[in-house]
Amino acid sequence: MAKLVLKFENSVLTETPVGGKEVSIGRSPDNGLVIDNPAVSHYHARVFNEEGRLMLEDFGSLNGTFVNGQRVKMVSLKPGDSLAIGKHTIIVTDSREAADPFWQGGVPKAAAPKINETVMLDTKERREFLQKVASVGESSQVAPARVKLATLVVRKGKTDKREYTLSDKLTVVGKSSMATVKLTGWFAPKAAAQINRREDSSYYIGGADRVPTVNGQPVIHPTKLSAGDIIEVAGIQLEFLYRD
Amino acid sequence: MNTKGDIEIEFGASSDVGRVRENNEDSFRVAPEINLFVLSDGMGGQSSGEIASRLASETVIAHCREAAENPALPFVGTMTEGASEFGSRLASAFNLANHAVHQAAESNPALRGMGTTLVAVVFTDERVSVAHVGDSRVYRLRNGRLELLTQDHSFIAEQVRQGHMTEQEAQNSNLQNVLLRAIGVDEEVEVDLNEELFANDDVLLLCSDGLTKELSDAQITSVLANVEDADTAARRLVKLANDAGGNDNITVIVLRNAPRLVGSFGKLGRWFRGS
Repeated sequence: MAKLVLKFENSVLTETPVGGKEVSIGRSPDNGLVIDNPAVSHYHARVFNEEGRLMLEDFGSLNGTFVNGQRVKMVSLKPGDSLAIGKHTIIVTDSREAADPFWQGGVPKAAAPKINETVMLDTKERREFLQKVASVGESSQVAPARVKLATLVVRKGKTDKREYTLSDKLTVVGKSSMATVKLTGWFAPKAAAQINRREDSSYYIGGADRVPTVNGQPVIHPTKLSAGDIIEVAGIQLEFLYRD
Repeated sequence: MNTKGDIEIEFGASSDVGRVRENNEDSFRVAPEINLFVLSDGMGGQSSGEIASRLASETVIAHCREAAENPALPFVGTMTEGASEFGSRLASAFNLANHAVHQAAESNPALRGMGTTLVAVVFTDERVSVAHVGDSRVYRLRNGRLELLTQDHSFIAEQVRQGHMTEQEAQNSNLQNVLLRAIGVDEEVEVDLNEELFANDDVLLLCSDGLTKELSDAQITSVLANVEDADTAARRLVKLANDAGGNDNITVIVLRNAPRLVGSFGKLGRWFRGS
């Protein structure tokens, strides 16, 4: 069975086995593993078994949970992993490492899926995880006061309009019938470049029949556009910006 | 034929059970007359994974064929902002497929818990709409570079995106097979829809994870860039994945935009679009 060995500096404080029941970690005395320190949240994190794997989940604690030096939300654990919570360290150990199915990616119960079988994260866990992912995304984005429209302004060259609002998922620059930024030159390529709006409403430019440049740098991989970027492709120059 | 804006697509597809599994839970379906290509990788006990993946692929094809006959056919689920009509139709077909698989799973205890990944592309002129749920993927080879056009809906991929795990750690993780989204598991599903340009000489690859867990990007690039016809490329990819272990079912669809090769390959997997 897996054990969580709580250490402070070099001394071992407690050893907590993790069986079928999850072990909650925190400052409150009703936790399975209590760490009495102001740097630790009342309910800080938990360690539990999921489909036969040992998992750690941080409950959005203020000071975070670190596994092998990396701040984590939810990760799988293996023997030897070192968890840092505040100034305390928790070492994951196992007396029967080789024999214990928890570490094999395998499954102790006969009814559970076979090794390597694709599975869904259990519904409740998944909802919580996805919610957490979504809220992380939201808090890291500054909510715009007004909706700003991504816009291409033509600075040089022959096109059918002087300005284009990028409202579609795909914007093509070229002579093609489906192109939004329509090139009118005689020798213009059918599809010189493409701009994609991604899920997070960011915009990426990529080359097609031509290699565009952004601020003078050739676009080899799809490149994220920022306000003020100057795009040059197939003899035209476009500025990417946001309009109110 | 060959009016301005039209494309000609050459396709090849191949599916194999691999060398370890007993069932092939992958499916693919193609509807060349409406430029639609679908691939799915099922999961669930007994043979329910196979049922889920087939049902999902077939539902997508049926809904899109019906829409081609009857453009007034209602859309299912929420619309994606900024998507073309065909892209929205594809997302609608995914929502319907989710409903069909979920209903089947709920109404038959033997099928409970089944689900499937689903990935599909539909072409309109030079636009390709890419829809996906799960960890089956779409790659594009353009100018010798392989680009992944989809983001896996897996626990591991999400950990990497959030910076909690490095690519290296992800490759060694034992949680490779844990999905965050799949068709049929919940009543509703969020469908990722993107639209891309299908430029001259582009090659698209749709594949199940049985391919990408065995082969590196470099190996895939080498096959797609050097094999002359799509059908041979598809078979070659499956063979290489089997040679590398074949630990899972392997399914691929290879699509090439090859206007200069008109007439070169008369046989399988070739058709013309247009007036």
